[in-house]
Amino acid sequence: MDIYVLVKQVPDPEAIIKVKSDSELEIENKYFTNFFDEFAIEAGLKLKEKFGGKVTVLTVDNKKADALRRGIAMGADDAIQITDPALDGSDQFATAKALTAYLKDKAFDLILAGRQAMDDDAGIVGPAVAELLGIPHVNTIIGLEMEDPKKEAKVIREVEGGREILSCSLPALFTCQKGLNNPRIPQVMNVMKAMKAQIKKLDLATLGLSAADAGGQAAKIKVRKYLPPPKRPPVKMIKEDFPENLKILVKLLREEAKVI
Amino acid sequence: MANEIWVFAEQREGKVRKVTFELLSVGAEFSKKTGAQMVAILLGSGLQEAAKSLISFADKIYLMDDPSLASYTSDTYLTNMAPLIKEHQPSVLLGGATSTGKDLFPRLAMHLQTGYAPDCTGLAVEENGKLVAKRPIYGGKVFAEMVFSEARPQMATVRNNTFPANQNLNKSAQVIPVSAKTDLSSLKKKVLGLEKAAGMKLDITEAEIVVAAGRGIKAPENFKIIEDLADVLNASVGTTRATVDEGWRDQKDQIGKSGKNISAKLYMAFGISGAIHHILGIGTCKTVVAVDTDPNALIFNYADYGIVGDLFQIVPALTEELRKVTKE
Repeated sequence: MDIYVLVKQVPDPEAIIKVKSDSELEIENKYFTNFFDEFAIEAGLKLKEKFGGKVTVLTVDNKKADALRRGIAMGADDAIQITDPALDGSDQFATAKALTAYLKDKAFDLILAGRQAMDDDAGIVGPAVAELLGIPHVNTIIGLEMEDPKKEAKVIREVEGGREILSCSLPALFTCQKGLNNPRIPQVMNVMKAMKAQIKKLDLATLGLSAADAGGQAAKIKVRKYLPPPKRPPVKMIKEDFPENLKILVKLLREEAKVI
Repeated sequence: MANEIWVFAEQREGKVRKVTFELLSVGAEFSKKTGAQMVAILLGSGLQEAAKSLISFADKIYLMDDPSLASYTSDTYLTNMAPLIKEHQPSVLLGGATSTGKDLFPRLAMHLQTGYAPDCTGLAVEENGKLVAKRPIYGGKVFAEMVFSEARPQMATVRNNTFPANQNLNKSAQVIPVSAKTDLSSLKKKVLGLEKAAGMKLDITEAEIVVAAGRGIKAPENFKIIEDLADVLNASVGTTRATVDEGWRDQKDQIGKSGKNISAKLYMAFGISGAIHHILGIGTCKTVVAVDTDPNALIFNYADYGIVGDLFQIVPALTEELRKVTKE
């Protein structure tokens, strides 16, 4: 099976992120491989173990290739970094175009990605790549079964009020959700090996794209202003004894907050 | 280009989701400013009642009622919606940030070559018809005000409970049936079935009130007291990453960065210390109540009302108190 996994290095959930100005953020230098991408890598590796083939991890990033190294350490065979100064300021659609330019002439059976990247929290790139490639996609899968990797997959996705079971013809693109599997922790030896692994770098021209296809000028949406999160007023601690405190809480919820 | 605001009227089992009414209600506010017509686009099968429920909320309803649209898939919905959108070129297209909305909108936006802002928690329309979409990024550590290029429609999905839904907007929509064009033989994916979750509770992303417990509940069977409280409040039950990883609760009920972001009107946290992962998931809730034995628990920094105490004493008594009060 020929499997591609779209990955991204993103700020760790513990990283401090502050608004520096309307157009600039200050991001603490603490990064990790996007949490949801590891479910995608694991799913790819499991299929390779079952059917044979190859897993390639792929990223669009001008600075960080560590997610690719994480993929290799987990067991991916190959790593591709699309990088070009013109990509700065790209939105998710331009990123999808760059990924598609690479993938379009590959003989893939399956493309996997995380549910969303934990930086822009958008969840756009996966379905957008599927649209550009003209293949079906299923979002936020928590189950994946396959009898014939050239034909179709049975997937389960979480929806409000239940779990939807779908059959999907291959090739396809699935975005992966927590619950799909338990991503393996790479062995130290493999981490060391991944540090030295060769990462293929490709620029836009190699992919047949021009600077006008990417970056700010191609963006369909852009940030006008960054804002700090809205602040809650200081907490009101209800210090009266039990059960008087509950009577007060209920009164506050009814009369002050007006939420019950 | 039509001066119209379109809302993707999401229905499940023939019932229009509440978020649709929330979006039509806020859209009506925008249209006062820009003079835009409010249009609902409704797809599915057996939609008589669903269409009727929208009449007083829109100026126009495009109705695609066809057995081939009985189950949502991005393929069938996109194939049917895209030509209509291209023909009318609305200024704005809104949908709920639901499992359907988040599946359909990115693909539809790419297809239409237009901009899309996902999972928004605020919207504004300027006099010139430009949409400004506010959305949390980095898990809610920062908010971004997004603006769109000249391409139309300007697309956004919006979280449940972001805007209040009116009871009625005193409109009388013209219903325009549109025949579905679905080539069933060309479909690449097919819904085989739906395993419904036990109980009748709304998903935690949809519920107006969510009550949750974390590791402080000590054992999975103790969630019974949280469920009893939820019943009195007509609330849904959420939880933390810790209890999900222990296997005590289902992943679908996990609040936080690796779970779901909720925008409930009231969120009550019991025995939840307030790890950053969890806090990020409740940032857009209106009122937050926290109960924990540890007076220094981080959760109190993010709550409106706090009580230091034992949840095993407080929860059952609170349930009783609420039962009394709601009876009055």
